[in-house]
Amino acid sequence: MAFAIERQAITKWLQKLLESGEVIAPVRGPCGDILFSTIHSPEKVEWNFQNPLHPPKQFVLPQTDPIVKIKRNGERHEVAPTYDDTRRFLFNVRSCDAKGIAFLTRMYEMEPADASYLRRANNLTIISLACNIPCPLGFCVCTDSGPFLRDSYDVQLTDLGESYLVEVGSEKGETALSGVPNLFHPATEDEVSQRKRLEIEAKNHFEQETCHFASAMRRISTGRVQDALWEKMSDSCLECGGCNMVCPTCYCFSVKDLGRVGAWVRCRMWDSCQYAAFTLEASGHNPRAHRKERMKRRFFHKVSAQYYQRDGMVGCVGCGRCIKVCLGATNMPAVVGAIRKGKWNE
Amino acid sequence: MSAVPSTCPFCSCGCGFYLLTNNGQLVGVAPSETHPVSSGRLCARGWSAHEAALWGDRLRQPLLRQNGKPESVSWDEALDHIAGRLKALIDAGKPVGVLGSPRATNEENYLAGKLARAGLQTNNVDFSYHSICGPLFAGLEEVCGEHTPTTSLNDIASSQTILLIEGNLAETHPRAASSVMKAVEKGAHLVTIGYRITQMARLSSLHLQTTPGNEREAINGLLAAILDLRRQDRTSVAVRGEGYEALWRDVKSVKRTEELRQAAEWIARAERATFLLACTGGQGDQPQKDAAAFATLAAITGHLDRPGSGLLPLLARSNVRGACDMGVIPERLPGYDPLDDERARQRLQDLWGKKLPSDHGWGAENLLQSVSGLIVVADDPPSVVRMGRRAMAAMGRIEFLVVLDAFVTPTVRIAHAVLPIANFAETEGTLTNMEGRVQRLRTATNPPGEARIGWQVLAELCARFDVGNSYTSATDVLCEIAQAAPRYAGIEQRLSEGGWGGALLKDSDNAKFVVHPTGATGAAALAFAGRPHVLACDGAFDWGRDPLVLFSPTLSRDYQSERKFFPNGFVEMCERDVDALNLGGQRHVRLTSVHGDAVVPIRVRTDLKPGVLSVPYAFRDHVASVLGSDSVTAVNVEPP
Ligand code: SF4
Ligand code: SF4
Repeated sequence: MAFAIERQAITKWLQKLLESGEVIAPVRGPCGDILFSTIHSPEKVEWNFQNPLHPPKQFVLPQTDPIVKIKRNGERHEVAPTYDDTRRFLFNVRSCDAKGIAFLTRMYEMEPADASYLRRANNLTIISLACNIPCPLGFCVCTDSGPFLRDSYDVQLTDLGESYLVEVGSEKGETALSGVPNLFHPATEDEVSQRKRLEIEAKNHFEQETCHFASAMRRISTGRVQDALWEKMSDSCLECGGCNMVCPTCYCFSVKDLGRVGAWVRCRMWDSCQYAAFTLEASGHNPRAHRKERMKRRFFHKVSAQYYQRDGMVGCVGCGRCIKVCLGATNMPAVVGAIRKGKWNE
Repeated sequence: MSAVPSTCPFCSCGCGFYLLTNNGQLVGVAPSETHPVSSGRLCARGWSAHEAALWGDRLRQPLLRQNGKPESVSWDEALDHIAGRLKALIDAGKPVGVLGSPRATNEENYLAGKLARAGLQTNNVDFSYHSICGPLFAGLEEVCGEHTPTTSLNDIASSQTILLIEGNLAETHPRAASSVMKAVEKGAHLVTIGYRITQMARLSSLHLQTTPGNEREAINGLLAAILDLRRQDRTSVAVRGEGYEALWRDVKSVKRTEELRQAAEWIARAERATFLLACTGGQGDQPQKDAAAFATLAAITGHLDRPGSGLLPLLARSNVRGACDMGVIPERLPGYDPLDDERARQRLQDLWGKKLPSDHGWGAENLLQSVSGLIVVADDPPSVVRMGRRAMAAMGRIEFLVVLDAFVTPTVRIAHAVLPIANFAETEGTLTNMEGRVQRLRTATNPPGEARIGWQVLAELCARFDVGNSYTSATDVLCEIAQAAPRYAGIEQRLSEGGWGGALLKDSDNAKFVVHPTGATGAAALAFAGRPHVLACDGAFDWGRDPLVLFSPTLSRDYQSERKFFPNGFVEMCERDVDALNLGGQRHVRLTSVHGDAVVPIRVRTDLKPGVLSVPYAFRDHVASVLGSDSVTAVNVEPP
């Protein structure tokens, strides 16, 4: 069932959310960048913005995440997991990012389930804002993760001008709307059809785009990408790891203990499969010592049929962040395009 | 979660990012699309910048070594003790000195310099200047009258031709490499000069593979080919400048290959060309001459001062440029003015209210071996100077060694007095990148324990030597810097304008170039019958031993693993050379040079040509007896 809320009433709703938990929204910082940040008042929220380069996955999977406390107690060690039970609302998150968080949650739910991650995710309510005008570098239509969502949100907002259409996708979404009953009214037929029209218009923005995923997937899954091509492409990678850091679906991490006199905190940290020692073994052997092998692995994980079958989607939500962040030139569309054509930059 | 805009503390590209904190603790880094240098991109080091600050082995209390053991003391006790000991040494006529650091801010370096010259009355003040940029700057100054860059990182991307003396740009300056890649993608011609086939060399249109120490052969070849072009076609090839007849005499007999002719065309006919220069290796003043010849190449083709064109010296660490500008070099005062420049001396004497010493000071390596009292600010000399661990032995003989640092380093472990200071994420201050862009560090979190802000500690030491000033903020220090180094005038105001607010230093107006003869080709005579191979020390800096990398779990994994597997270091050589040695399964070789010999493990590489051996800067200690004080030397290689 869809609702609608008047534009002016949003403030009151946000006020209510602020009373019930931490609200995170895109905010313009002093240097002009939009960053997802904790807000303390509703006016801070940006409504017309390009999706921030730094993704909101940090609110389910922080770059540095304390997961276990270890304390020395005489001869023994006490070990206690740490959980973050803060109730959070992720407000005005874009469709691709909502889809990304759903992807991460599927990974961390797999056995053995990751309690630390899941506690955070379960406490997070995702209130997404559909993209009436898709961002210039995005290609979410190719990955089925936008510009409007069918799933993966708790609440989806669509800007209808005077009002917002409010779609509820889960119990958490229902809860987010509760307590302020007179702010929301059942959506009129007109409002619902406006939303449909906007979705079609948004999709039409992608007209020129060609989607290479299917043909690239065939080649990658069957090992038909020449080694020489990987080698050539990997010379255009500077191993910065940025692609992994900003990728809404990248979830690899490493762990390291942070020592504090007599007590330690085991932290998980974002890691990058593009770093040389990512797969380094204690013996000194490194199964992916060369950049081209690491790059090949990354794209196999993202785009192969094998993983598509397991995950139900490619490991990409089309946000286009890797295009902006790539210090080299080997972002997702560039590599996928090159694989389809069988050549790089010629 | 809060986001504090700051500047990357690693290389001198000067990328910007947000330091993310949660409840006052650093938790990560977020890129910035609005930053003028990095525009949303960072390299691996930048992405992990918060880690060392978090994981680092930190100093929390002032320590004084008493009865051979470091004991915590109060700040006043430590500072008084340090001042007392240093005064006693000076009174006894013993030499003292100060080492600044490219890991320290401008404010810290400036006060370190002031403490040395005005406070301790000595010009014994330096950082790893000589190994990192000294020859480079000297060469540029010879030709351009200035050591400063004439182009920016962003301009590289729109160049049509890029000439790169390759020290492994992708590793040393990823942000610069990124711009080169962008240009190449748009069809630019990249010409690389170097002895190794690096990543950038593979991306190039043309790689001029040299012998280590003999880069000048390629540069002279290019000079000759360009002068040929001019002789053929006076009108369309811009060759300018006085004195190139002498240049012609020097290079006319150099052999021109088809490749050199092609590269010369690309350079001479490009509207926008970038010249990227890393420190080369070699004996004596050869690296300086290489830099001069390279600058000449840019100068005579008109690319030195044309909009969109220019030369960029590649400086290894974040604040090399700043340390130079602050005068943390024995023969240069703040503003990079020569020590004997009377006007500059007067300016500083007026500002500091002290007469300045005029005796020449020692450079870092001599200083380490000669002083009785030494203050080291935020650096670990054995890791950074070329003499490597011999610096450790030298420091062990110093009567009174004081270290200011945020991290525990080998130098800290042997110091007599240790003052804990804030790291880059805990302090206010500025860094000057290789382009001359002055950018802010901002406080994202508090220093641990009793650690204090570095510039405040140095200001207190200055006060104890009667050159104090009542600074209330880092900005106050920056305002004084503007008086000491005129190029920094107005910077403070521009930095306060909000946003990223980096400010480029003004170009000085005396940048006119002089064409010099380049001298005969460098090291052609280096290798000879008894020693047919050449051993080169690769690079000018080792990130692996920098605390910012060493203490970062993510970064140290990449940088440290080789060290674990090769505790005795290694030299690299090509397969053909290894086969020719008939080592019979042995993985070691004996190297002999005029200086001495050493037995070292080998590693086979595909990016070296026969006859060339290379040792990473990190492993220079293991061949110190072979290299002597050279960075390139002829060797004989045999089974151990
Ligand atoms: S962002 Fe680009 S340069 Fe960086 S690791 Fe990924 S592919 Fe390589
Ligand atoms: S390129 Fe240099 S300045 Fe930029 S993020 Fe990397 S180390 Fe930092």
